[in-house]
Amino acid sequence: MRGDRSLYILFFLGCALTGVLILYPAYYAVQLSFFDADSFISTPVWVGLENYKTVLADSEFWSALIRGIIFAGTAICLQILLGIGFALILDSAIPGKIILRGITVLPYLLPTVVVALIFQWMLDDHIGILTVLLENLGFEEAATWANSPFWSMVLVIFVSVWLWTPFVTVCFLAGLQSVPEEMYEAARVDGANAWQRFWHITLPQLRPVLLVVVLLRAIWMFNKFDIVWLLTGGGPMHGTEHLPILAYRKAFDAFDVGIGATISTISFLILTIAILLFFWRFPIDERK
Amino acid sequence: MSEKDKKGSKSENIGITEKEISRRKILQGMGAVAGTAALSLHAPYIHAKQKEIRFLNGEPSVQSVRAMRFAAAQYEKETGIKVQMDTVPAGKAFEKVQTSIKGGRPYDIATLIFVGDVLLLAGENKLVPLNDIIKKYDWGPNILFPMDGNNYWYPYDYNLCWINYRMDLYEKAGLKEPQTWDQLNENMTALMGDGENKTKQGIVHPIASSGATNYTSFGYLWANGVSLLDDDWNVVLDDEKNLGRTVEYLEHFQSMVPMMPPGLAKAGWGILVGGIQNGQLSHCPGTGRLIDVINVKNSELASNLGIFPFPSPDGSNVALNHGYDGWVVLDTAMSDEALRFMEWFSDEHLINFLHTSPVHYQPTRMDIYEDARWLSHPDIEKFSHITSWQKRFLTDENVIIKSIDTEGPYPDMRAGKIFRSYALPEMLQNKVLKGMPADECVKIAADKMREVIAG
Amino acid sequence: MKKTSTRIGIGIIVALMVTYSFFPVYWMLISGLREYESLFSSISLVPGPFSTASYTQLLELTDYPTWFLNSVVVATGTVLITLVLAIPISYAVTRLEIRFKGAIVGTMLYAYMFPPMLLAIPLYSIFVDIGISDTLLSLCISHTTISLPLGVWLLWGFFKQLPFDVEEAAMVDGCTRLKAFFYVVLPLSLPGIVTVAIFSFLLSWTDYTFALVMIGSDSLKTLPAGLDTISGWYELQWGELMAGSTLIALPLLVLFLFLSRYFIHGLASGALKG
Repeated sequence: MRGDRSLYILFFLGCALTGVLILYPAYYAVQLSFFDADSFISTPVWVGLENYKTVLADSEFWSALIRGIIFAGTAICLQILLGIGFALILDSAIPGKIILRGITVLPYLLPTVVVALIFQWMLDDHIGILTVLLENLGFEEAATWANSPFWSMVLVIFVSVWLWTPFVTVCFLAGLQSVPEEMYEAARVDGANAWQRFWHITLPQLRPVLLVVVLLRAIWMFNKFDIVWLLTGGGPMHGTEHLPILAYRKAFDAFDVGIGATISTISFLILTIAILLFFWRFPIDERK
Repeated sequence: MSEKDKKGSKSENIGITEKEISRRKILQGMGAVAGTAALSLHAPYIHAKQKEIRFLNGEPSVQSVRAMRFAAAQYEKETGIKVQMDTVPAGKAFEKVQTSIKGGRPYDIATLIFVGDVLLLAGENKLVPLNDIIKKYDWGPNILFPMDGNNYWYPYDYNLCWINYRMDLYEKAGLKEPQTWDQLNENMTALMGDGENKTKQGIVHPIASSGATNYTSFGYLWANGVSLLDDDWNVVLDDEKNLGRTVEYLEHFQSMVPMMPPGLAKAGWGILVGGIQNGQLSHCPGTGRLIDVINVKNSELASNLGIFPFPSPDGSNVALNHGYDGWVVLDTAMSDEALRFMEWFSDEHLINFLHTSPVHYQPTRMDIYEDARWLSHPDIEKFSHITSWQKRFLTDENVIIKSIDTEGPYPDMRAGKIFRSYALPEMLQNKVLKGMPADECVKIAADKMREVIAG
Repeated sequence: MKKTSTRIGIGIIVALMVTYSFFPVYWMLISGLREYESLFSSISLVPGPFSTASYTQLLELTDYPTWFLNSVVVATGTVLITLVLAIPISYAVTRLEIRFKGAIVGTMLYAYMFPPMLLAIPLYSIFVDIGISDTLLSLCISHTTISLPLGVWLLWGFFKQLPFDVEEAAMVDGCTRLKAFFYVVLPLSLPGIVTVAIFSFLLSWTDYTFALVMIGSDSLKTLPAGLDTISGWYELQWGELMAGSTLIALPLLVLFLFLSRYFIHGLASGALKG
């Protein structure tokens, strides 16, 4: 067909641009890991796989990896649970649904730097409203969260959940609309209660949505840099330092760009393997 | 010029585009994008015709930016050469310099705040020596950092860190400036309380792994005569001479913790300023920046602030933490023009610039201290009790001026690596937050420094 | 018929949800409008007295209006470029016989797998090579690298569920494929397109990393970069920072108010089928 050609052209143009803009930088990042360089402008020295050996032997790397998994894993679980919960509530018959839906999605619209500032202000030592609240409720240690790696991690997870749960909520809410009402009716007739209906009908029906959402959130949370950096800078005492922050520190603080690139590449490989395993275990029918 | 036109037409399209998205608008949008692309492709060509020096300024405060822009405008008027001023927070300057070099459009002049960064660039032959300009003046101690006999940077200020205190509270309580660590603690205790003329806490010293900690928390260590490195670049923090003294420092720090606000692990510059400003602290470490900033919002409080250097346990020494900022000229097509600008700026406008934060920008050139132009600023007069201290610091041999990033027999990146490894702040964290025994904290820090230097 | 206790239970849950989601935003709005002295000395849930001093300070001392305009230009540009690229790509992937469709879409995910900082620097050198470094256009393109994968993914799902019959009918009637595309397909996929537009706008408006690397000139800074610069100032305090944050968030909130329907609907469909 005639029109096909212009479409093909646009398509290939798009792919070419994408290739240059996405693949080249990725290639650059990976090849940097085979060099030793003090900074981005230093003359790089080829070291082959030395950087990889160094990084994999460094306990800092493994600690950061584990912290990253804890951070991403906990955040994702909470996001999913909370997201589904909110979606269910928003789907039921309650007054002011539309406004409530809007308010629930609100956090997602805020820029990360704004959210970091707001929470820092609310947790200010002297007159942060949350600080005062925590102190009055007797949670002294939480109020001085900055001194504790544990509470700092809690904070970072909490803010991540606050920010990004709406994504899950919205996806689920829409998914819920598509579940045929008849299935619920049939189940009610059979005597199933609300929980059983949810577990045996809603969840299986929403399986594709769930898988996609988990996948996307996993990639994003594992690589999340901004929010952790802005809130805690990876501290205290490396308490919230995960792979992206470790890579950043190595590249920009420790004058070791090659190592920074190595950590990023390893992180990327880990993610790729995890995703492949994910698809193998939970194949999504319509993909590829 | 062309930027403004672009923005104008874009704003009109925005209203329409958001409201009705349709095929027509998509095509119109494509046209707009193409048009913008064409325009911005032209922009660099337009600029290339007029000579331009690109200056990376690392002082983002309002007054300083104004002074720099004013100087740029003056220079353009006099010579026809445009000076493009970009501003970033000082901490981000080195990143920006790297990006600009890597991207093929290096800045011609840039602000750097670590001698390690200067060394790195010089080592990669990215800088142009400034020997001719430097030779013209008489400089203060420990500020030039020559490499292989060449001077690659023009230091424009000292940012020495001392301890600020409330003179008015001292007077009311009949206290004198402390000469020893015990006296400092006593003074702070005397001023702590709930009543009038009392403060909630005594002082704050950050312990986070940050530049703020590196600058403000180790003055006592220097005053106690500790060195991090010997002349062969061996780490000596935990050797016979220094181990005991560092342990003393840690114990002293621990003794001050009850008099500090909670949340030390996230304390930064903001808490220092805020704490003194709100009357919460009677003392706090800081540079002149503290006083300049408070002076803007609360002139009366500022005039009640005095300073003293970090004392030692027995009163035999005093110390300040070293800080500095400077400019480098990069090796670019405009290097010669840039050098000319630097010389012009150095003669004509440096003092204007220094006046934008009069106490914080402590002059590095000894001639400025006698210069009537510099002295005539009202704030220099108002804070003469501080500026006279400042000059004394530079000339008195009994004042120890040290910092982590300038340790070692000569300027070298290794000191910079130690700075950024945050080994010393971690030492504080281990002591204060984890409660580990002091000598263990010292040993861990020393080992970390060795690791970082070797790598 | 719901029992009263269930009603109350639901009411409490709803109240909690609202507080949880809205309180920080409320706090930001309030803090920007408080008087300087009381901001630092007293806490209360509905604090007064109010004053717009923070806003005036902020606008006086900083280049806020310039940053705002820059952000608008960049975000709009990003939306346009993303749509121009995403629509043909995802349409072609669903309609045309192209091998390795899955691989192409999968490759786009790669952009998310690397830290932005590491990608930004080589991107910057590309821009220098073609002469558009330190321009808003380069920032638009950078943002597109992030918004494009998601856009393609969402639209792919959307186009897939569009039955081919409608286009076929149009083409049988004599339309070329291109015409069928413009006159039939696009209007039908409007919700999906609006969703992608909103996402791209959001991603661009809130980006910080690329803005830091791509833009040097003060006059071209976008809001997040500007906010970062002034958060290091000692002249500005929490009041002004909250005021600045409000101003950044405001356009997004307004946008969302008008387009929320599309956003939720489109995101859902895309995610469902994608």
